Amino acid sequence: MTGQAVSEAGRAEPQAAAGRVALDGVSVRYPGRNAVALEVSLAVEAGELVGVAGRTGAGKSTLALTAGGFVPRVVHARVGGSVTIDGVDALTATQSALAGRVGIVFSTPANQLSASKLTVREELAFGLENLTVPRSEMDGRIDEVLDRLAIAHLADRDPFALSGGEQQRVAIASILVMGTSVLVLDEPVAQLDPAGSRGVASLLRQLAGEGHAVLCTEHDPDVLAATDRCLVLNSGRSVALDLPGTALGSAVQRPLGLRPPTLVELAELAGLPPRQAFDEEAVAAELARHDFRRQIEMPALGMPGDEMLDWMPIRSEPTPHLLVSDLVHRYAGGPEVLRGVTMTARPGETIAIVGQNGSGKTTLVKHFDGLLRPDSGSVEIDGRDIAAVPVGSIARTVGLVFQNPDDQLFNRSVEREVAFGPHNLGLDGGRARDLVDRAIELAGLMSVRTTNPYDLGLSTRKLVALASVLAMEPGILILDEPTTGQDGPGVARVGAIVDAYRRAGRTVVAITHDMEFAAEHFERVVVMREGAIIADGAPADVLSADRSALLASTGLVPPVAARVGARLGLSRTPTMAALLEALSRR
Amino acid sequence: MSAAAGYYRPGHSWLHARNPLTKLLALLWLVLAAFLLPGLALPVLVGLVAVIAGSAGLLQATIRSLRIPALLFASILLVNAFLYPGAHDFLARLGPLAVTREGVTFGLVSAGRLLVAFSASIVFLFTTLADDLLEALVERGIGHRIAFLVLSAVQMVPRLQGRAAAILEAQQARGLQTGGSIVSRTRALVPLAAPIVLGSLIDVRERTFALEARAFGAKPGRTAYRQVPDPAVDRLLRWLILAAGVAVLAVAVTRPLA
Repeated sequence: MTGQAVSEAGRAEPQAAAGRVALDGVSVRYPGRNAVALEVSLAVEAGELVGVAGRTGAGKSTLALTAGGFVPRVVHARVGGSVTIDGVDALTATQSALAGRVGIVFSTPANQLSASKLTVREELAFGLENLTVPRSEMDGRIDEVLDRLAIAHLADRDPFALSGGEQQRVAIASILVMGTSVLVLDEPVAQLDPAGSRGVASLLRQLAGEGHAVLCTEHDPDVLAATDRCLVLNSGRSVALDLPGTALGSAVQRPLGLRPPTLVELAELAGLPPRQAFDEEAVAAELARHDFRRQIEMPALGMPGDEMLDWMPIRSEPTPHLLVSDLVHRYAGGPEVLRGVTMTARPGETIAIVGQNGSGKTTLVKHFDGLLRPDSGSVEIDGRDIAAVPVGSIARTVGLVFQNPDDQLFNRSVEREVAFGPHNLGLDGGRARDLVDRAIELAGLMSVRTTNPYDLGLSTRKLVALASVLAMEPGILILDEPTTGQDGPGVARVGAIVDAYRRAGRTVVAITHDMEFAAEHFERVVVMREGAIIADGAPADVLSADRSALLASTGLVPPVAARVGARLGLSRTPTMAALLEALSRR
Repeated sequence: MSAAAGYYRPGHSWLHARNPLTKLLALLWLVLAAFLLPGLALPVLVGLVAVIAGSAGLLQATIRSLRIPALLFASILLVNAFLYPGAHDFLARLGPLAVTREGVTFGLVSAGRLLVAFSASIVFLFTTLADDLLEALVERGIGHRIAFLVLSAVQMVPRLQGRAAAILEAQQARGLQTGGSIVSRTRALVPLAAPIVLGSLIDVRERTFALEARAFGAKPGRTAYRQVPDPAVDRLLRWLILAAGVAVLAVAVTRPLA
């Protein structure tokens, strides 16, 4: 798959400094596309952690692939300018010249793991074997990275029996263990629980402190906050390269249609300098001095993506009542994944299910539509046990949107894809067409109606999969990590869909790692830990700072607004709006 | 099913303990013998596979796995029995069709050859971890690309099965009825097959990314974490199998064409 490198810059300068990665006047064009995917200059020095932010499709992945030595060697592209990785000209280098110099981490573990190893330990050894590390050194190096990623307990597990988030930690470890001086990460925490994201953020900080040059693309504010400098891309070009507090501030983000992270917004409101934009304590102290009563006009927080959307019901079936009782589930030969779960979803409720990676969230919701059957316990829809009802029939009432859209999509256009579900339900032509139209509109896919789903990016494909289930208008809509990989406007769109569906009287249950998303769009938050529910209530009660210890026990952190509120002696402020409201009343 | 484990069934039999190369060589010999030796050798070869499988405690599992090619074997037998070209030794008549002795013989020999090849392969997959085979091949100086090709081939079916299971779930969640009449089953095929085909293309990209990111094949003299034992008895066995292979070739060359 070696690409045809077209280097316009010629040879690499032999005196190029080691331990750094430098892109000098780099332009990248993919074959068959006229547009430039990336046009940028950037140097990441040894000991430096540089973040990359920007909307979906802004060129973040292309930058990661280029700095990681994948473009143009593995991924075909025309590249101009020069790319130097740890002293090696990456545009002409062979695999062996780059091996051991640069490590690249992708956002999905499938892109990373060898898929041929029976244990996590052997999986981590794979990279060391390829770098011809003597066997006697392997265990020591493996144990060290297992510790650093807090996954020592997974060492002897089968990588494929792990949850998505656990696999991603193994994937990060599999690159770290190779000990390269340059590290490139492309949205590494998309699948991780909040504690996992924070863990990776501080790990990247440490690695930079140890002299690695680290480049990391992300949407996650915790990771971007930890960077020395942050590059903001738009349409492949740099629009800012500055302190994260500046690069992610309103002045840069709003013109791009993005909203700054909540903490940065609060810091700006308090009038703090960008240097302190991610300093929670300083933000709270400064807000405490502020008198919000005299502030007549609240800052404009709305964004174009925030407008209210509506869902007009077409199917007349009433929204059903879901009850699961004492659910126990165990995968063949494995431990119990669900250990007696009881919960209800009353008609029209919106429920966010949160909890650490591997706590049983996906296993739980797969019982709601019968894809998994309990080892003991029951699932009832409107009082009727679904044990004997085939999945295809339950789908009339319960719609599940999978985390990975590629398991679903097969049609040659978005429109046909979305029509698949209504067709399966045997709805008549007129109603089916109406449902397809409304689902496409609600998901914001009008402009790509006739496009082949596989020509769209992953975040848009996820919206197509969501629309394809919406079009069946299930009474209970279940979303498995719908915001993963979405940028700000994408998250806002998913939130607006949840809101619209709730206003239409339907039930929405969503698994999410995004605490702000959970607090803003859901009436109830269900917290899971090790296959059991440990808290269930309104966001203001569950996602509050005085529940921090409980939340931390399952890898969660209260949302920023709740944390800042707690420092100000305010409770029940899970969202920015609730916090500002409470501040104005003080 | 885990793609890494594939069809491997963990165990401690004498066959599990053999070096993957010994088993691979034995498999190749069995296939060679089945296709080059006269049909009369087939019962012996089938018996040999059965004895090997039985001694490893896998006879039942091997027989159960034969339901996969059973239809193929039956059709080879039937088609040849009735339609063997130029045959004139009729055994029985069934309306316009006739069963011929030549047809039955040819059908039995063809199906028997496939039976030996299939059952020997299954016993090999049952007792050999794909990853160990890869290590053993690389240790022998086989190019890593070729070694990985072998590994991918061994893992392809279980990987596709894993993907198919995920796709089946996702489509059922959108109301796809997979049971019922032949018509509805046939109609269900496209939404299941298409993502598998597209998915395998994505799979190739994922494999490429993973192997490149993990520096597979970057340096000569790859070291090994997992040790694959190669005791003296394996080396002896391999020489014996090679000798047997020469014998089979000798018989095949000297035998007058049937």
